[in-house]
Amino acid sequence: MNIRHYILFFLLFVASGVFAQGVKFTAAVSKTTVGTGEQFEVEFSVNADGSNFVSPDLNDFQLLGGPNVSTNMQFINGKATMSSSFSYVLMAAKEGTFTIAPASIVVNGRKFTSNEIKITVVKGKPVPQNNQSNRGTQGQGRANNANTADLSKSLFLRAVIDKNTVYQGQQLTLAYRIYTRVDILQNQVDKLPDLTGFWNQDIKALQPAQFRLDTYKGQRYNVADLKQIILFPEHAGNITIDPFGMSFIARVQTQPRDFMDQFFGNNVQEVNYAAKSLPVVVHVKPLPEAGKPAGFSGAVGHFSIEASIDKNHLKANESINYKIKITGTGNIKLLNNLNPVFPADFEKYDPKITDTVTVNENGVSGSRIYNYLLIPRHKGDFKIDPIQFSYFNPTTGSYTSLTTKSFDIKVEKGINEDNVTALSGDDKQDVKLLDKDIHYIKTGDAQLRSDGNRFYGSLAFYLLLLSGPVLCAGAFVYRNQQRKNNSDVVKVKSKRAGKVAAKHLANAQKELSANNTTAFYEAISKGLYGYLSDKLNISYADLDRETIASALKTKAVSEGLVTQLRDTLDLCEMARYAPVTHISTQEVFEKAKNIINAIENEI
Amino acid sequence: MKFDLFKIGLCFVMMLGLPALSFGDDGTQALFEKANNYYSKNKYKEAVSTYNQLLKSRESSAIVYYNLGNAFYKDGDIASALLYYEKAHKLSPGDEDINFNIRFANARTTDKIDEAPELFLSKWWRVVILAVSADTLGIVAIVLFLFGSGLLVFYFFSVSGSIKKFSFFSGLALFFLGIVSIIIGGSQVGYFNSNKQAIIFTSSVSVKGSPADKANTVFVIHDGTKVNVLDNANGWLRIKLANGNEGWLKPSDVKEI
Repeated sequence: MNIRHYILFFLLFVASGVFAQGVKFTAAVSKTTVGTGEQFEVEFSVNADGSNFVSPDLNDFQLLGGPNVSTNMQFINGKATMSSSFSYVLMAAKEGTFTIAPASIVVNGRKFTSNEIKITVVKGKPVPQNNQSNRGTQGQGRANNANTADLSKSLFLRAVIDKNTVYQGQQLTLAYRIYTRVDILQNQVDKLPDLTGFWNQDIKALQPAQFRLDTYKGQRYNVADLKQIILFPEHAGNITIDPFGMSFIARVQTQPRDFMDQFFGNNVQEVNYAAKSLPVVVHVKPLPEAGKPAGFSGAVGHFSIEASIDKNHLKANESINYKIKITGTGNIKLLNNLNPVFPADFEKYDPKITDTVTVNENGVSGSRIYNYLLIPRHKGDFKIDPIQFSYFNPTTGSYTSLTTKSFDIKVEKGINEDNVTALSGDDKQDVKLLDKDIHYIKTGDAQLRSDGNRFYGSLAFYLLLLSGPVLCAGAFVYRNQQRKNNSDVVKVKSKRAGKVAAKHLANAQKELSANNTTAFYEAISKGLYGYLSDKLNISYADLDRETIASALKTKAVSEGLVTQLRDTLDLCEMARYAPVTHISTQEVFEKAKNIINAIENEI
Repeated sequence: MKFDLFKIGLCFVMMLGLPALSFGDDGTQALFEKANNYYSKNKYKEAVSTYNQLLKSRESSAIVYYNLGNAFYKDGDIASALLYYEKAHKLSPGDEDINFNIRFANARTTDKIDEAPELFLSKWWRVVILAVSADTLGIVAIVLFLFGSGLLVFYFFSVSGSIKKFSFFSGLALFFLGIVSIIIGGSQVGYFNSNKQAIIFTSSVSVKGSPADKANTVFVIHDGTKVNVLDNANGWLRIKLANGNEGWLKPSDVKEI
């Protein structure tokens, strides 16, 4: 053994020591701070050929995959170097700070331990409940979040509408479509938009989504329709369909890391991938105002209408079925109730509505049947007026009005008509108010008056109001005056006596000129007696010569005048029964006149 | 003598009273008939403008207001229709046509307002004072006063006992009735003067809790609703609804009846 052997031995020894010293067993995580529900990877790697790998306790986390073992072997200048890694895909389930304890491995009979790793788990998205830990085969690839940028080109979602621009109420088809060029192992719908602004109806898929080949942007894809929906925009304007999202686990081809991968076909990866479609905007045009029919109630599409009746000759109290059928494509379920006008004397019940609607890729189509039950209660010839139905046809962009037939119905007198009307007590019925309206205008005189010049409270009003009481007061004052003047009856009478006498004398003179002597004397006597009665305030019945004489005497009338008066009265008395010749009638008249004058002068 | 006094009184009544009752001159009457013609031919817009022309002369009558309200109603302007119906109602509160159309048009306004319960006495009293227009009541009062005076004058001058008694008491009764009708008329004028009302013309009005733009909105009312105007301060109107709710709004939102 020469010195060279010693040197070689020494060097080999050192080298083997170096070699042994160079074993590195490290633990690494893809991130140290994760959110709950987020996936991360722990990798334990050793740069030597190790065995007896003991994994640490990973119970703080949910194990999604692993251990995935990969081994590398390199030959450099005839020297083989090996490295192995053991990786786990974990998901944080709880918040907090956790420690991944060291793992251990035995290399060349020596035990190595890895470093400890602290993981901080913060609040993230909620933890999915399905445990995927038993998914896939051990050691066969691993799911990760890598390569999402590349994946988005080969796996994406689209919300596809068949029309971008529609009229309000016009139907359009929305399809949620998956485009893929990779194998999808699993998929899950995360979120479906709620499609506000549309009335929607799902197209029922007959079987699970089938993939078909389709070309999009020059690339061939496997395409599947996840869901198809018929939409009816409810208002005009731009309505955005929110994105929908799905998460996939896809199997993707990776670059082979080494020939072993290539050889064993290990160059596939299972990748978690969440995809989201782009929002889609639908331009909704309002229905044109021009040419809108009067009774238009919002039907959009293409329709036909048909009315039928089961009999048109019947007896009172029997029923008629009046059927209106609207067939076509469009928003049949959104059709408003028709308001057919029936004869007012018919009893009418709310219609039974039967929809027969099919929903497919071409839209909603089918028919709606309104079945009205009518019961005529009285005999007569009636007519059911035609119904106007109008719809907007979006393909031509114009309104179409349809009219049904009208029906003449002959109602005979029913057998049990009396029975029915007997229920209401008697044969009378209320007059039905068919249509209400405001009362008609007033015609005739406009009766215009100046503003703010109302009669009540005006000057004229008060003057007129006062006129009555004033009149009253005036009358009262006048009457009192009168009464005051008339209060002395004697005075008044005596005042009036001369006048009365004059009247009688005038009468006498008239008789005189008529040569009617008897009447003349009577008038003279009446005149004198009347005069004296008034003048002396003695009632006519009490008048006789003695009372006159004594009364005159008390009034201090001269004796001669009294005698004269008495003579004249006697003369008049006598002349009424016997002709008087000794004195002419003219003289008697003058005498009476003189006497009265004399008495007037003396009293 | 008595007869003469009565005759003079009657002449006095005619002289002062008839001008108040006189009808418009021929020009306005022709215009009125023209407007009525438009209405009957369903030309409501023309009818509205013609009726308005009539009212431009600062003259008014319940009939023209009522017809104008009808024309507005037929033209679809419910708020204006109600405004003119209410104006007509003010001039002729007892007219059943006007009251019916007010009820009818109110059914077509947006707001449904239940009237706050009211004591039946005040309701009856309102029915009484609004039954006949104040002008008619005034004329009735004058006529009652005149007849009462006539009977009293008769009483003053009549001689026979029983006739005298009868004329005295009936005259007093007529005077009493006249005073009652004056009181009713006065109450009616007072009622319309104190109860200022307005119709909302803006299609949607936010009624504020206090007279400021930033104040809280207490409630929202719509065109055609009738409100009572309680107060007017700083360019704001304090209003009260029939159901008792109160608030403030801008005068531009309403038109006073």
